[in-house]
Amino acid sequence: MASSNSGERVPLIRLAGVSKRFPNGTLALDNVNLDVQRGELLSLIGLSGSGKSTLLRHLNGLHQPTAGEVFVEGLNVSKAKTSELRELRRNIGFVFQLFGLVGRATCLENVLTGALGRLRGPRYGIWSYPKQMRREAFEHLDRVGLASQAYQRADTLSGGQMQRVAIARSLMQRPKIMLADEPVASLDPESSAQVLELLLRVATEENMTVIVTLHQVELAVGWAKRIVGLRDGQVVLDRGATGLTQHDVMDVYRRVDHESTPKPSFAAENANLTQLAQTQLQK
Amino acid sequence: MRGVSRSKMPKPPRRWQTFALLIIFVSYVAATVWSWTFIDMTLTTLFGGFSDLWNLITYMLPPNFDNLPTVIEATIETVWMALIGTFVSVLLSVPLAFLAARNTTPNSVVFAIGRAIITLARAIPTLVLAAVFTLALGIGPLAGILALALHSIGMIGKLFTEAVENSEEYSREAVLSTGGGKWKTVVATIVPQVTPAFIGTALYRLDINLRESAVLGFVGAGGVGFVIQTELRGLDYQRAISAVSVIFVVITIIEIVSTRLRASIIGDSLAKPGRVTERSKKREAKDQRMIIDAVTTRQLTPPMTYERKLRAMMGITFLVLLVTAIITIEMPVISSFGLLDDVWRSILRLFPPDFETAGADLWRGIAETLAIGFIATTLGLLISLPLGILSARNIMAKKFVYSTTRLFMLGLRGLPELVVAVLFVSAMGLGPVPGTLALTVGTATFMAKLIGDALEEVSSAPREAVFATGASGIQEFFSAVLPQALPNLVSQTLYMLDVNLRSSTVLGIIGGGGIGFLLLSALRVLEEQTVGAIIIVIFVIVYAIELLGSFVRWIVE
Ligand SMILES: Nc1ncnc2c1ncn2[C@@H]1O[C@H](COP(=O)(O)OP(=O)(O)OP(=O)(O)O)[C@@H](O)[C@H]1O
Ligand SMILES: [Mg+2]
Repeated sequence: MASSNSGERVPLIRLAGVSKRFPNGTLALDNVNLDVQRGELLSLIGLSGSGKSTLLRHLNGLHQPTAGEVFVEGLNVSKAKTSELRELRRNIGFVFQLFGLVGRATCLENVLTGALGRLRGPRYGIWSYPKQMRREAFEHLDRVGLASQAYQRADTLSGGQMQRVAIARSLMQRPKIMLADEPVASLDPESSAQVLELLLRVATEENMTVIVTLHQVELAVGWAKRIVGLRDGQVVLDRGATGLTQHDVMDVYRRVDHESTPKPSFAAENANLTQLAQTQLQK
Repeated sequence: MRGVSRSKMPKPPRRWQTFALLIIFVSYVAATVWSWTFIDMTLTTLFGGFSDLWNLITYMLPPNFDNLPTVIEATIETVWMALIGTFVSVLLSVPLAFLAARNTTPNSVVFAIGRAIITLARAIPTLVLAAVFTLALGIGPLAGILALALHSIGMIGKLFTEAVENSEEYSREAVLSTGGGKWKTVVATIVPQVTPAFIGTALYRLDINLRESAVLGFVGAGGVGFVIQTELRGLDYQRAISAVSVIFVVITIIEIVSTRLRASIIGDSLAKPGRVTERSKKREAKDQRMIIDAVTTRQLTPPMTYERKLRAMMGITFLVLLVTAIITIEMPVISSFGLLDDVWRSILRLFPPDFETAGADLWRGIAETLAIGFIATTLGLLISLPLGILSARNIMAKKFVYSTTRLFMLGLRGLPELVVAVLFVSAMGLGPVPGTLALTVGTATFMAKLIGDALEEVSSAPREAVFATGASGIQEFFSAVLPQALPNLVSQTLYMLDVNLRSSTVLGIIGGGGIGFLLLSALRVLEEQTVGAIIIVIFVIVYAIELLGSFVRWIVE
């Protein structure tokens, strides 16, 4: 991994003219150019099908671009070998909408799977992980407030708790970058706020770079410092979150056929979260 | 990856489907009629057969348990063979399943090879494999174990593969994203998901293998079958029946135990009490305390809850049984790889297959095999209808009637059908008729149970509507009960035909007619390349039936 001693000039993440056409012909990304600096808190917004998930998946090599190049931590993801990809993924936490926990395994075991990249050989069951790692996993569960559920099966948890376990699993990787694809889309508002707050807290504590895709603009504005809007695979908005107006966002949510335009009204609704975000960031 | 959900459009009923079904029905009836004439089946032979059977029963009673020590020893060997055979098959099937599952296979070549192995294993009957392996390994349980292990891959491998393909992929993608690497991720996310299904399948196959293992002795591959056959050859029916009854009891007991175990494993919790009692409450409270202790003290090993204890105990019990089995059988664990070499060489001697020597007999054997399968299915079905109705609780008003019928059927189902066949052969002499009758009995009792169960499940609302019009009991049955159960009946008939045709390929090995008889004679004179030819024929028959079965099922659905 090339570390960027040269400061903020070399961006941590760079997408240069990235396009992605799926085998079935869908053009999911259309000439995307995007630089993300170390420590940024960025939120991707856009309608369903605009390419948010596809973009995130290019960053850890789950997808390969059909045109253009993707650089992450100096590695050209689009040309990386399998072993380099594995190395890259080890440094990137990825949080999914549907959590991706093994339901039949305990929470502790689920967190431990985050350490697989550091270990040689397959592991099955808590016993197969070194003691030191189990201790570490416990600590991460503590951080997300679920140490008391350590020996409970993951499928007995609530959605919000599952997502927190998934975050603990990512922390087990000690990642520099955290990607979250609609981490709260399956959650009720209260759990959503909890999960987003947690993401923010660990991001600031670890000085992580975070990209979160969010369906709701008000959550995105309350959470991130920078907002990037996608429409039909193109970047149509890229600016700071503060002072973002309804008008700025209109463009992102305009459908091609102009048939319906959802009216995002976010300014006041999530004042709590916005406030929380700002106080956190000032620290 | 967002799966675009393509919900299946309800298919409009198609005319060609009805047409195809009609053709299938007509060909089925034609096949049965042809079969009937082909093996010279007449109602006289049929009823003559039943009177021979009655004689046999009078010879067999009362059973003579003089030979009990030998019988018990042989029965134990039978159980150990089934246990080891199933275990080896599981060992082979686990990697095979991951290589042959669409979602975990490394590439399409491995995928195709994996699938081919599974199909091949399924299509060569255990008894045939056992007969061939005795050539290389000699008389004794080793040949039987190897046969069980290889043939079981067909079912175990198939069900394991399906379990892997049905596992959810979200966790896999998530762990892959942590940099886990492919196989580490599979072990961490898919293996825990499929473990219950794997264990359930293994237990289920153990039941089947126990039945198979009981007849392997007929070809000298170990177990109680040898004792049964020896006693029958010496015309000592009273001692033969003592061996049959001992294996019957063992099969029944193990089936009950494994059904219970499977239910609790698939129910996902071994410890979950059927009902809440004082003890179960106490146990749960204790578990809770243990878990709380463990997390407050940050204990790094999972607490030994009741559930975990049960699991550990089951694992240990299994290991003890396995080791006992290996020691008792005197299985050469280390040198068995050398033996595999012998087996491989004896398999190579089957090639190139020689279709010439057997010549026209081969065709006759094939025809007879098919004929036995068709007649047994049709006769069995015809008998099962009244039997099933007699056993249905909600149709038979008298408890005595349905419970006696059920008990009778349970008894017959408990016996492996080749054991029934060998008894029939010894009562009626060699030939296709006793074999056919044995399969008929198996089909009748199996179908009768299904019909009885289905009839009990059929909702009672339409029945009442018909009753209200003043219809008689029989009218009511044909107009209201039967139509509801018909689709299920069709698919079960198909299944029975499949099972019977498979069995009839090996019936000849014990003198029951069909192509198996040729196999036996070729083995006796060591015409190995003829054996190879016959095995290929058997494979083709079984595989063709399977293809035909899935084709018909595709049309029906
Ligand atoms: N594996 C795939 N194969 C084919 N097309 C795909 C695939 N994955 C995504 N697409 C298509 O690419 C486009 C962008 O999808 P993507 O999942 O990135 O959108 P999204 O912005 O994340 O939407 P959502 O808010 O619904 O998650 C869509 O039209 C989608 O149908
Ligand atoms: Mg998405």
